[in-house]
Amino acid sequence: MKSRLQILGPILILVVAGACSRHKAAAPAEAAVPTTPTAEAPVAEAPLSYELRLGKGVYQHHCQTCHGETGAGDGFNAFNVDPHPRDLSDPAFQKAKTDADLKDATQRGGLGVGLSAMMPPYGKTLSPDQVDQVVGYLRTLRRTEG
Amino acid sequence: MPLRRIFAITSILFLAVLAVSPLKNALRPYRSFQRAFARLGASRAKSLQAAKVYQQQPVAIHQIWLPDFENRVDRCTTCHLGVQDASMAGAPEPFRLHPATYHTPKDSNRFGCTACHGGQGLATLENDAHGGVSDVESPMVPLRYIESGCGRCHTSEQVAGAATLSLGRATLERNGCYACHTVKGHEGFRSEAPPIETVALKTGGEALRRWLKDPKTVDPNATMPRFQLSATEIDELSHYVFSLAPARALADRVQAAATEPAGDVAKGKALFAESRCISCHTLEGKGNGSAPELSKVASRASAGWLLAFIRDPHAFNARTRMPRFNFSADEARHVVAYMESEFKDFDAPKEILDPLRVNQTLAEKGKLLFRQKGCFACHAPGAEVDRFGPALDGLGDKRAASLDFGKRADLARTLPAWLAAKVQQPGSFQDGLKMPTFALSPKETQAVVTALLSLGTRPVPQPYRSVPAVRAGLLPGGVVGALMDKYRCLSCHQIGDRGGDISTAPLTAEGSKVKRDWLVNYLVLSFTIRPILTDRMPVFRMTKDEATQLAQAFETFYLDPRIPEDPYAGQPATSRDPVEGKRLYDTLGCRACHILGAGGGYYGPPLTEAGTRLKPGWTYAWLKGPQKWRADVRCPNYGLTDADALRLTSYLDTLVKSSTASKAKRGGTR
Repeated sequence: MKSRLQILGPILILVVAGACSRHKAAAPAEAAVPTTPTAEAPVAEAPLSYELRLGKGVYQHHCQTCHGETGAGDGFNAFNVDPHPRDLSDPAFQKAKTDADLKDATQRGGLGVGLSAMMPPYGKTLSPDQVDQVVGYLRTLRRTEG
Repeated sequence: MPLRRIFAITSILFLAVLAVSPLKNALRPYRSFQRAFARLGASRAKSLQAAKVYQQQPVAIHQIWLPDFENRVDRCTTCHLGVQDASMAGAPEPFRLHPATYHTPKDSNRFGCTACHGGQGLATLENDAHGGVSDVESPMVPLRYIESGCGRCHTSEQVAGAATLSLGRATLERNGCYACHTVKGHEGFRSEAPPIETVALKTGGEALRRWLKDPKTVDPNATMPRFQLSATEIDELSHYVFSLAPARALADRVQAAATEPAGDVAKGKALFAESRCISCHTLEGKGNGSAPELSKVASRASAGWLLAFIRDPHAFNARTRMPRFNFSADEARHVVAYMESEFKDFDAPKEILDPLRVNQTLAEKGKLLFRQKGCFACHAPGAEVDRFGPALDGLGDKRAASLDFGKRADLARTLPAWLAAKVQQPGSFQDGLKMPTFALSPKETQAVVTALLSLGTRPVPQPYRSVPAVRAGLLPGGVVGALMDKYRCLSCHQIGDRGGDISTAPLTAEGSKVKRDWLVNYLVLSFTIRPILTDRMPVFRMTKDEATQLAQAFETFYLDPRIPEDPYAGQPATSRDPVEGKRLYDTLGCRACHILGAGGGYYGPPLTEAGTRLKPGWTYAWLKGPQKWRADVRCPNYGLTDADALRLTSYLDTLVKSSTASKAKRGGTR
């Protein structure tokens, strides 16, 4: 009996100690968890999001030559195009057009939406995602009055 | 009594031990993440239905299992629950939607996460999964090097959509890394550095000394790295270089050229501009930059050498990318006279180009240094190249613990940090290392580290390997091959997957694209094709014979089977209707970008003589989908029907040079 206790005792202590120590090791990780997300991350203004950067890339590649860097319709090729390209940064224009309108005009071109054929259709050149991205970027071009 | 007590205590302890495991599971962090995600999803949901779906998701381990991709099991989505959920755009981590890339979202279940991001897919604890634990086998790749993941499968030099990786691979090649390091696929690399025995013909003792001290201060475009040589070592190497005997024939050429009378500076200036030297060279920083800066070149190369070299660069350096210009004897003199008058370092001492009086003892020591420092890898590679640097294959999978950080106690103990420091300041790890300093910009460093991290131990499984779809560029032999070598077409143009990127016009399908007569005239006298560009092919003063031979060869070899020779074959006769084609040209708005006659945009190439230049088969194939032929082209795809594309083609084909002129040309070439 006594000898059994002598054998069992240390084993038990070891097992319990082992379990405790492993549990402790896991504990700090758990403590770090409650960084549960707060309702909504604030929208960062300065750097563009990944999607907007993609949209900017599409804009620079396909649109900028006519519509200009700021969207004002003053790209270097604008003066060869009659009627001149739309001023995309115009707040009134931005307000009047929904995203769907802009997407439609981008995809079907000027001819498709009853305007000048000088604006080509990009529906077969850009993927729907790319069109969404560039429309997203167009929204950032809105001029602030002042 | 004590026995009972002992029994009671052990039972309780036993129960407690049994409870540890379920308790640990219940407290796993991913459970609270999943509950938080359910709340977030429900709060963002647009309908009650959708919100319920989020709330009813059972808490469980999620995984992507890829049995045919090294049996990967990626449990990342256990915490990163929103990566494929469109409503999680802009959500806080770890729930944010994965940004759209070439492979996401469509291939998420084919590649999993760790294929690109690295990390331990099986782990469900953040630290274990991300590899924050020291010396983990594959820690996560920092986002700035994420394109290394692309490079694991895409082994071609240029990878569309991975600009950093492509820049990195190009930087490795340009800086001659493959001359010392073995990398699979680059075993045949040879540096284009000049053979060492021709250097004494070109330069002087002082100029060489300055060059060896730091090549980049002499020429910012230099690809030769800085070797941290001491003043004595520079001296010894210089004596060695000047002790070498160049080939008799070359020495005679330089000597003969040096005694020729000087040419006319003004004529040389015009020739210099006409030859578009800055297509490759720079002049005070302006130009392409893949060849030496020329603004002070006359102070590091003698007039005799310049003249002899311009006349036949390939005799001096068989591997140079410089083409042979067909200057007449006088014209070459004019060009050199212009260079001698303007491209000088006016602060340099007069004797900068004086040859060194060789001291044999120093030269012997220099010979040893030439070997020790590894100069021979670039400047004298024989048939058997001794690549003494460590092989770089598998570098991307090295464990941080196996790296020698030497004196760099400041670095994070990670592979990317080690690589970045290694390519920027190789000498800072330990004294006496062979690797020289390359003076890479931060952007180039990032790119090179990305490219190095993409070198895995073993290739990815076959179905994941992306072999470039371009046809291998076979160079013709014989006369045409010799001509293409003489003009070094591949220095600028791409053929298949070979060649430089200076020209935007690959020659792979040139024969299907342009008409032979036009090509002959263009080769004889090249002009700029787009109104907004001043860049064009240099004028090589090709003879009409040479141009005809090349044009004929292009029409034979460089064809694309997808481009029809006669697009009208098998189509109704009504589709060949230039009048209807013109109407299409006007209504589609082509003139927004193209000049035709008096008006039109400045963006695309003018079409006034489109029929003289382009074959109808190419025009048709182009109109059916421009991006198929050049991925980044601005010309939009109008989705034309076959008939409309043919009508437009037939209209463009009628736009030729005035008939008398074209007749005269045709008579001359055929």
